Amino acid sequence: MQKNSLERKETLQHMTLILPGMLIFTIGLIIPLFLAFRYSFTNWDGMTIDKPFIGIQNYIKLFSDVYVKDAWLFTIKFTLWNTILQNIFALLFAVALDSSIKGKKIYRTILFLPCLISALVTGFLWLKMFSNVLPALNDLLGTNINFLLLGNKDTVLSGLLIANNWQWVGYWMLIYLAALQSIPSDLYEAAKVDGASKIRQFIHITIPMLAPAFTICIVGITTGSLKVYDLLVSATGGGPGRASTSIIQLIYTTAISGRQYGYGCALSISLVAILLIVALIQVKVLRKKEVQA
Amino acid sequence: MQKITEFIKSQRIYSKSKKQEEKETIKEEKYTSSTFLLQVFMTLAALFFLTPILIIFNYSMKTKKELYIGNPLALPETFNLSNFEAAFNKLNLVVSFTNTLLYTAISVAILVILCGAAAWAIARAKGNFFKFAYVYFVIGILIPYQALFLPIYIIGYKLSLTNTRLGIILMYIATGISFGVFIMTSFMSTVPIELEEAAKIDGCSIYRTYFSIVLPLLKPAMATLTIMLSFQIWNDYLMASLFVSSKKLKTLTVAMQSLFSQQASDYSTAFAAIVISVLPIAILFMCLQKYFIKGMTVGAVKG
Repeated sequence: MQKNSLERKETLQHMTLILPGMLIFTIGLIIPLFLAFRYSFTNWDGMTIDKPFIGIQNYIKLFSDVYVKDAWLFTIKFTLWNTILQNIFALLFAVALDSSIKGKKIYRTILFLPCLISALVTGFLWLKMFSNVLPALNDLLGTNINFLLLGNKDTVLSGLLIANNWQWVGYWMLIYLAALQSIPSDLYEAAKVDGASKIRQFIHITIPMLAPAFTICIVGITTGSLKVYDLLVSATGGGPGRASTSIIQLIYTTAISGRQYGYGCALSISLVAILLIVALIQVKVLRKKEVQA
Repeated sequence: MQKITEFIKSQRIYSKSKKQEEKETIKEEKYTSSTFLLQVFMTLAALFFLTPILIIFNYSMKTKKELYIGNPLALPETFNLSNFEAAFNKLNLVVSFTNTLLYTAISVAILVILCGAAAWAIARAKGNFFKFAYVYFVIGILIPYQALFLPIYIIGYKLSLTNTRLGIILMYIATGISFGVFIMTSFMSTVPIELEEAAKIDGCSIYRTYFSIVLPLLKPAMATLTIMLSFQIWNDYLMASLFVSSKKLKTLTVAMQSLFSQQASDYSTAFAAIVISVLPIAILFMCLQKYFIKGMTVGAVKG
């Protein structure tokens, strides 16, 4: 009997260790999720006390709204290119740093430095790079390259991709590098004995052994890019026109400046849903590959 | 349990000898012409990554005259610190710097203790509640708080937490806790249960066991979490710009934003502010670099 009550007391004490965190987490993230869901069925303007219920009208409007379509289009393009470019470059740099070149530590540090800067600063920095610094190269080299990528509707995406890749490639590179360095070297030795070429070794040993790293990097880059906002605030402000308005930025403008809280919440919920679906599908597909490997 | 700790030890020794072996094989590899090509390629890449950083330092020391007339790539003529002075005055830098430091330090400290406690309880206690708690916390990793800034703000407003220090700290805790519990739980296997059992026999309460035995053993995990979270919170813009609008409570990123939007005129001051804002996080990173990489790669490496 006594032992039983002692155990119960212990379990209770263990619970008290969890509860404060759980409470803050529930109030700060879980309840907002449900609130957003509730408000998404109203056309609340954020000021009035009553929140008129309008059913799924907000969600229907999402499909016909040109602003929403454009914002999704931009966000998806940004995400796709980021996922492709960042993975390729990160892996490329990681492989290069895993070879026998000199000064690996210096390269590693330099490539990683940009991650320490906030995305807001990165946006501003590249804005100035494109408008003030790089044009000076034209005078120096006697060329006539147009570096004002962020000011033009057609090139703003590539400008932002350069800035974003500059900031994050080093981060993902470190993950690939750690994964590369954990591959047991006897695997390569065995392959060498069997007469496998370097390229075959890469395809049949390195790539499969990197599977967990691929999962982390692909999911991380995709979900990170879908949430892009800070970078745009300082680099383009969503412009020129609406050419670089991301979903989060659209939520901001509709809800805060446009006073359409209900509609903004519907946008939020759609973004959360899409992020969840994309992440879950990616994890499922990539984990399957991991098991096969 | 003992078997497990032995197993962990043997694993460590195994991986150590692996590393040594690898080093030896690397030494044996020759510096061929393809390695030279890689070297050139990496040098070019490094140049691309380094130039903007150097530009920040370069511009932070340029005078206004140099900014408009001089060549953008030229170095400043004198070691000029007036921009830093201007940044201090214009941005109310002492205040915003202290604010950012305060928000980051307090929320990270609380997060580390809370996440450690939750992860420990989840690892040690039996029962459905604890299993549920783990899933509940970790699901939060998949919920992007950036997409939910509106309702988070509304909740904060209803609890009259907006424009208060407490509010922004609680908000950072709420949005960081999922990741924290996840990392801490993954480190929990490094805490040997024998010490805790000995403490229990000596009559230590759960709380005392946590603070005087478990927490010190979790130091590497704490370092990992500290650097990962500080880096996020220090650089946060979206939440800080929503939650605090009064001048006294502004963070560095929010204060700097006002310099960025003032079109062009005075951006050498902005660059000086950037240098100041990056320094603390750069120093922290240099001290805890090892742990940062460990935190990033949790789950990326098989086995």
